Amino acid sequence: MSSPFQKSNPRRQKLVPEVDVLPVAQDKFLLVKQDELLLEKHPKSTITTLESLREHLQLAIELEHATIPPYLCALYSIKEGTNLVPSAIIRSVVMEEMLHMTLAANMLNAIGGSPNIRGELFIPDYPTYLPHSDKAFKVGLGKFSREAIETFLKIERPAATDQPPQAHHYHTIGQFYQAIRIGLKYVEANSGSTIFTGDPSWQITPEQYYGGGGRILAIRSLADALEAVDEIEGQGEGIDGTINDPDHKLFGDDIEYAHYFKFNEIYHERFYTEKDSPQSPPSGNKIEVDWSGVYNMQPNPKMRQYKKDSELWNKSYEFNKAYMALLDNLHRAFNGKPETIVESAILMYKLKYLAVELMKTPVEGGPYTAGPTFEYV
Amino acid sequence: MEEKVYDVVIAGSGISGAILAKTLTNAGKSVLVLEAGLAEGIELDGPAAQKTYRGYLDRYYSVLARVPNSPYPAIKDALTANVLDIKPLKPGVPSTVGYLVQEGPSPFSSDCVRGAGGTTLHWLGTALRMLPNDFRIYSNYGQGVDWPIEYRHLEPYYEMAENEIGVAGEVAEQKIPNMGEGFFRKGYVFPMQKIPQSYLDIKVKERMENLEVQLNEKEYTLTCISTPQGRNSTPNTSYDIAGVKWDKAAKKLVVTKSNETYEPVGAIWNPHTGQRCEGNASCVPICPVQAKYNALKTLKAATRDKLCIIPQAVVSNLLINKETKAIEGMVYKVYKNGDSSEYTTSIAKGRVYVLAANAIENSKILLASNAANSSDQVGRNLMDHLVLLTWGSFPEKLFPYRGPGSTTNIPTFRDGEFRKDHAAWISPLDNWGWSWPTFSPGSDVSNAMNQNKFGKQLRQQINDVISRQILLHFECEQIPDPENRVMICEKYKDQLGNYLPVIRYSVSDYMRRSFEAAKKVSDQIFKACSVCDTTSYSKEFDPGFVEYNGKGYSYRGAGHIVGTHRMGSDKNCSVVDTDMRTWDHGNLFLAGCGNMPTLGTSNPTLTMAALTFKAAEAILNQLEK
Repeated sequence: MSSPFQKSNPRRQKLVPEVDVLPVAQDKFLLVKQDELLLEKHPKSTITTLESLREHLQLAIELEHATIPPYLCALYSIKEGTNLVPSAIIRSVVMEEMLHMTLAANMLNAIGGSPNIRGELFIPDYPTYLPHSDKAFKVGLGKFSREAIETFLKIERPAATDQPPQAHHYHTIGQFYQAIRIGLKYVEANSGSTIFTGDPSWQITPEQYYGGGGRILAIRSLADALEAVDEIEGQGEGIDGTINDPDHKLFGDDIEYAHYFKFNEIYHERFYTEKDSPQSPPSGNKIEVDWSGVYNMQPNPKMRQYKKDSELWNKSYEFNKAYMALLDNLHRAFNGKPETIVESAILMYKLKYLAVELMKTPVEGGPYTAGPTFEYV
Repeated sequence: MEEKVYDVVIAGSGISGAILAKTLTNAGKSVLVLEAGLAEGIELDGPAAQKTYRGYLDRYYSVLARVPNSPYPAIKDALTANVLDIKPLKPGVPSTVGYLVQEGPSPFSSDCVRGAGGTTLHWLGTALRMLPNDFRIYSNYGQGVDWPIEYRHLEPYYEMAENEIGVAGEVAEQKIPNMGEGFFRKGYVFPMQKIPQSYLDIKVKERMENLEVQLNEKEYTLTCISTPQGRNSTPNTSYDIAGVKWDKAAKKLVVTKSNETYEPVGAIWNPHTGQRCEGNASCVPICPVQAKYNALKTLKAATRDKLCIIPQAVVSNLLINKETKAIEGMVYKVYKNGDSSEYTTSIAKGRVYVLAANAIENSKILLASNAANSSDQVGRNLMDHLVLLTWGSFPEKLFPYRGPGSTTNIPTFRDGEFRKDHAAWISPLDNWGWSWPTFSPGSDVSNAMNQNKFGKQLRQQINDVISRQILLHFECEQIPDPENRVMICEKYKDQLGNYLPVIRYSVSDYMRRSFEAAKKVSDQIFKACSVCDTTSYSKEFDPGFVEYNGKGYSYRGAGHIVGTHRMGSDKNCSVVDTDMRTWDHGNLFLAGCGNMPTLGTSNPTLTMAALTFKAAEAILNQLEK
């Protein structure tokens, strides 16, 4: 069976450096042995129990979610009709993050967990470190700008091969997912039978999920789960700087590449070409980027800065209510009612309209306009 | 430079041209497509394709009168019919307002898109099959002509067409008069589940379903069924057709099967955009999410290294070998930009030639070439669905414009003995308020302003008027008439020296009787549903105003340009055979609605697509010989 994911670059995920590539072992004992060796070698990759695996997949959901509000702010701050290519790029990344979030939820459901998508603790207080990261940089809410793209590049930076898998305090998201991959294999091999005991009817399937950066994969086995991790890594960070594969087209028309490189195109205002290497900046056709075609959104706005019942307070409250409704909807969809996910499309449009309205509203006494606060209400 | 001889040269990149290009290149044949529209229109990938689409949207937003062709460029070197050019005709004076030179006495009232992707850019998306009795309307009812093939011959090709277009629908709900056993293959489902029927449809259905109406002393029970359509919806997990493939050994096209869930085809620049209809009501003229099918989606799936597309290339005529009658070249003029009259003339060479440029263009090219016309049928039997509209105010709010253009239809009068006396029709429930007949909501605002309403009062009135608007729509099947025809005349040419179509067109009593009958049915529906009827037909302002039995009716065009080079079993009274090969030239095929001997009561696109798969199969067989 072919991969259900984006067909345009089937090898994209394969370009992620595999840590200690494991042969497909028929002998379960052998696999356990190897994984134990792996754990010895990578002591920070310490997912060894089902409970820990569930916790980390919940964390994966939170991590994917945490990137979405910053990307959405950049996207919605772009004025209609300007920055067509950057908009399309950011939009495609947001869609893929939503896919990753849903894949993580499917994985968690597949191993009998229950994703939690609501509550005050689920929502980051921007500016914030990425959940569970090594706290090297903060991520905030703000308009489309060079600085914002720089931060996005940091979020999506590829893991170098000398960086070990790391379940806690990871430096790159790639390290985190590599730890999950090892954990999935290890816990499954040591389970006695299988950890994939979740109710299959709780999986989000291609019937319900669409438009989000690729096809959703229902997870029913270790192989499915590993494919999902591969896809998340491939889309997110993709090509490692040290990989050199002259036979394979990495860039160019019709090739989907990883987020880091997509953002790098915006940053350098140029497309990659077939001849480009991951080590050098893109050298292809110019991308029209209008850094001024943007609403001047105030960085990291908060509701508390507005007087209660003032226009901006009310608008922000309405936005956050819609945001809560969306998360509630996703929570229901990920907890036994997968068919309700179709309603989230309507809520996402609502979110967009309300966010753009805020972006268009000036904040008194300063150069800024308001913006979505993405707060718990 | 030696000129390349392609396996197949095709004029036009609408749905017929695109299906041929895809099917033939995927079977390994080399194909040249000549497209009359601007080069930007043929962009199939990435930012360039999106930019073109964005341009269409911007043009649409910037115009005041929003009609089907508003988003698409109007250029002088390849003119297009436009409904805004249709004016009341004066007897004996041809109208030269627009692209179509209208001799009358009544105007031909439909338009099309002359550009890459063809009219599927602005089509509504309704994808209905014709009924078995439509194929033998002469034998059964003494009207028109029988087709040279039966419904069952076309059935497998309908499945291919529904796969290609990506039809959303519910087979079990398709209960249509005299559809017979086996209308759908046992166990067949559409690729996607039906598009949710709009709130308006549900409210109307509550009052209209199973309503008894009388017509000419007979009782009919009205039913409302969901309408299959080419727009993306939730995939049907039972659907197992993956695509269409040329089976060389079996010498036919076959469907391939797959266990994987059907994947809706999104925008050409981003497969993840437009995977579901989002219920916008502006499907005509442009789908803002690209969930509606258009032919560029098919063209994009052609085998690229086998396909060459030359845009801005207007086909003017064919070169014919005097001895063998074989076609030896397709002459085309490539213009420099849309409005300059600068152009260069070239000749395309192929083993097989196909005209897929739409029914009016195909017959124009044939007439200009003196080709395929030994039967004297080229250009004749031009048809359309003549649309009678009735409208009024519903007793409760219906909230039109929520959901796509039409999701429900009344199939009750699609077939019956009455076809001996008057035309059959289908009645789609429209979701567009009175926008078509009255230019609502703009006219509602001016009416209220004329009543000195402003502020809150104005808002209240608009809210009350628009949310109650109901429009019924009777698409009456025009019967072929050899005198309804496309002609050419030295007097009328465009700036590239290509002919303008000269149209002679009239509305027969058979059609007028159907207007009378449809209005009687409408009156009964409105009465039973307590609708306040506001329908009015104007002799002075409606170009399609006709009279019958002392009453006036106005018809409008449905955009279904059909006939003009009909298929038949007798070369003396038809232009093409059942393979859609012209009787007169062994290597010339015609594609499109022009092949249809009669129209039936279904929107013709699905049937055209099915026929095109049949033509593709015949072309492949001919090339393999």
